[in-house]
Amino acid sequence: MALVNPNFAEEMERFGADAALECFNCGTCAAICPLIYEHFPRKMIRYLQLGAKDRIMENASELWRCLHCGLCTQTCPREADPGEIILGLKRFAVANWRRS
Amino acid sequence: MTDKKTDKETIPAKGKVGVYICYCGGNISDHVEVEKVRESMEKIPGVEVARTDMFMCSDPGQEMIMQDLKSGTVDRVVVASCAPSLHETTFRSAISRAGANPYIYEHANIREQVSWVHHGDQATDKAIRLVAAATAKAEGLKPLEPIRMEARQHVTVIGGGIAGLRTAKDLADCGVAVALIEKSPFLGGQIAQLERLAPTGDPAADIVTELAGEVLGDPGITVHTCSLVETFNGYVGNFTLGVKKRPPDTDCEKLSSLNPSGRTPGEFIPFKGFYPESVAARAEELSIETGVVVLATGFKSYTPRRGEYGYAEFPEVITLPELIRIMAENKTTDNCLEINGRQVRSMAMIHCVGSRQIPGIHPEDESGNFNEYCSRTCCSATLDTAGTIRQSYPGTRIFELYRDIRTYGRGQEELYEQAAKNKVVFLRFEADESPEVIRSNDHDDFPLRVKVKDVLTFGEEVEVPVDLVVLATGMEPNNVSELVDMMKLPVGPDRFLLEVHPKLRPVELPVGGILLAGTCQAPMDVGEACSAAAAAAVKAAVLLGRGYVELDPFVAEVDLEKCRGTGACVEACLNEGALNLVEMEVDGEMVQRAQVTSALCWGCGACVAVCSENAIDINGWTLKQYEAMVDIIVADEATA
Ligand SMILES: Cc1cc2nc3c(=O)[nH]c(=O)nc-3n(C[C@H](O)[C@H](O)[C@H](O)COP(=O)(O)OP(=O)(O)OC[C@H]3O[C@@H](n4cnc5c(N)ncnc54)[C@H](O)[C@@H]3O)c2cc1C
Ligand code: SF4
Ligand code: SF4
Ligand code: SF4
Ligand code: SF4
Repeated sequence: MALVNPNFAEEMERFGADAALECFNCGTCAAICPLIYEHFPRKMIRYLQLGAKDRIMENASELWRCLHCGLCTQTCPREADPGEIILGLKRFAVANWRRS
Repeated sequence: MTDKKTDKETIPAKGKVGVYICYCGGNISDHVEVEKVRESMEKIPGVEVARTDMFMCSDPGQEMIMQDLKSGTVDRVVVASCAPSLHETTFRSAISRAGANPYIYEHANIREQVSWVHHGDQATDKAIRLVAAATAKAEGLKPLEPIRMEARQHVTVIGGGIAGLRTAKDLADCGVAVALIEKSPFLGGQIAQLERLAPTGDPAADIVTELAGEVLGDPGITVHTCSLVETFNGYVGNFTLGVKKRPPDTDCEKLSSLNPSGRTPGEFIPFKGFYPESVAARAEELSIETGVVVLATGFKSYTPRRGEYGYAEFPEVITLPELIRIMAENKTTDNCLEINGRQVRSMAMIHCVGSRQIPGIHPEDESGNFNEYCSRTCCSATLDTAGTIRQSYPGTRIFELYRDIRTYGRGQEELYEQAAKNKVVFLRFEADESPEVIRSNDHDDFPLRVKVKDVLTFGEEVEVPVDLVVLATGMEPNNVSELVDMMKLPVGPDRFLLEVHPKLRPVELPVGGILLAGTCQAPMDVGEACSAAAAAAVKAAVLLGRGYVELDPFVAEVDLEKCRGTGACVEACLNEGALNLVEMEVDGEMVQRAQVTSALCWGCGACVAVCSENAIDINGWTLKQYEAMVDIIVADEATA
């Protein structure tokens, strides 16, 4: 069970991920992403939307698979800037690494 | 072949019948050997010509029939094709255009009743029998004239919601006098329960005030509030409605109490409606003579069952209409929305409550009903309300739990996009895995949690901590069973009133002169309800525009040579007033004889069945015609 944290998405704005709630979970980014890996990056964006911090930290190492090719950001129909969200999540993961 | 020809001469034909058999582009001919049917028909005495066509309803098909009539080759027409509900009028009007009487026509349905349900030889055999029967009947058809009745230039609209108001005003603008019957003391209906109308954000109060003002200001419209139709008689063009006006049971006192500012008739009272006239002090009965009746009786909001998503169990669970009202009555400039004295930091809005129910998954209501339809307005209304909250109370976080987002009309998809921009978070559930609302046992001081298997999170179970749960309740039809019984109206399996044809005749009921407007027919938003209302107004104006109405002449007729005035038929008659015994002079003697009032007769034939003298018959459906049909159906050689 993942417990939702209603304030998390706003906290993440500090880390540079400010459009995450525009994402409507279409999965285009996951389809275009060359990694073809378990719904990446949508899955991480979804955890961010819900504020499922534990899930993000559990899967944090996956964030470093990202090539920053920018394809997802180019194709996202909602301009949610998924590439930037991944970067933001990396910053968040680094900032919280020791504490977790 | 040759002895068939002698048959033709020895059995004198009553009419020269033309039989026209349709392939329906394969729909019929894939299963019925159409040419074989034609050959069989050619052998039937009385049949002058039998022809086939790929599409009889096409222009060339109709032209063929018209040519035969014009040249005098035939004087009775049988078309064997699809169901008469589709094209009977098409062929009757072709006959009229050829200068003949449209009632010399008989229809055989060999598509729905044959090719769609039977195959092989049996299909052809059944088609032959049905067409032969129609042919036998057609021989005995006689030209008839429609019954023409003067139509009262008056329309009665039942229901004073937005749809009823729109219909009344549009008709008055056409110069038709209108009576508007509303059961409550208010005009405006359900939108008086709303604040902003999605998708445009128009204030509901302004919309009601504007239209109700126009209606009340129109001398052609008489408004009766606190009124119900109690009796209903007559037929299109000439209905008589018995209306009872009574002071509302409890509302009188409530009315004065909600009147702190000394509100007077002619004002909009929030969450009540437009208050057009003082409430009647005592009961009053009136009789309204009218030509057309428009039903605009609207809907009621679904009330969740106790325990449905925690409703009525947890005070923090309310419906969308309740939320709208509380918000309107407690506007603040705080950072957080406050509901019933509690700051709302986080709230969940659950879609499709009481709508799109699935037997086997959702429980039925106490009468065994399911609301299987989509209520169509709740997605937009919920998104719009969420947007308002996020903009006015940024401290309140919103989670919307949906099955599908159905923002189907112009300007509505934008509401969905706008909600995301306003940082509303969406979760999606499957129909058979509805969210659960539970008490929070944690110490995070949110009183409730909404637990859901979230499709967007790959089916993971997610718990949302909330201060408030709002249920997006849908629509249910108002209970109008009294009107339904009185007027003999069809009701769909969804319990909304059912139109004649969803595409071609969307605001008409099969009962002549009764029309539909707005959400008594199906869930609609305000714009759609007004479109339907305007359509009903036009249909009413068209019905009355000629000054008279024409009724089908398939009614009883008395043969005065045979009638002996026993009165058995009068007793058997199902519609009071349709059949009476009257005094008349026959052979210098005063006697009693049966007399039909054509406009009231249903053509049901109950009278025919009891007359020992065979003195009463239904035009277009005489006993002789039935006998001829039965004879030919059982006579194997005719159809071999
Ligand atoms: C929660 C919710 C939110 C909505 N939000 C929006 C929105 O944002 N935008 C939008 O466009 N639409 C919205 N709608 C839809 C809107 O409410 C309807 O489209 C509109 O009210 C339909 O009007 P109506 O005249 O058909 O019916 P009603 O408003 O129901 O009016 C029917 C009238 O008939 C009267 N009546 C009933 N039975 C009888 C009888 N036997 N005799 C005499 N009178 C009778 C009733 O008292 C009532 O006054 C919403 C609906 C709901 C449930
Ligand atoms: S493409 Fe954009 S909207 Fe679609 S899932 Fe990815 S981030 Fe979300
Ligand atoms: S930027 Fe990263 S997440 Fe986006 S498509 Fe490229 S590799 Fe995938
Ligand atoms: S409009 Fe939306 S919330 Fe309402 S019943 Fe349809 S899908 Fe459900
Ligand atoms: S056909 Fe029916 S309604 Fe007409 S007179 Fe006979 S019994 Fe009465």
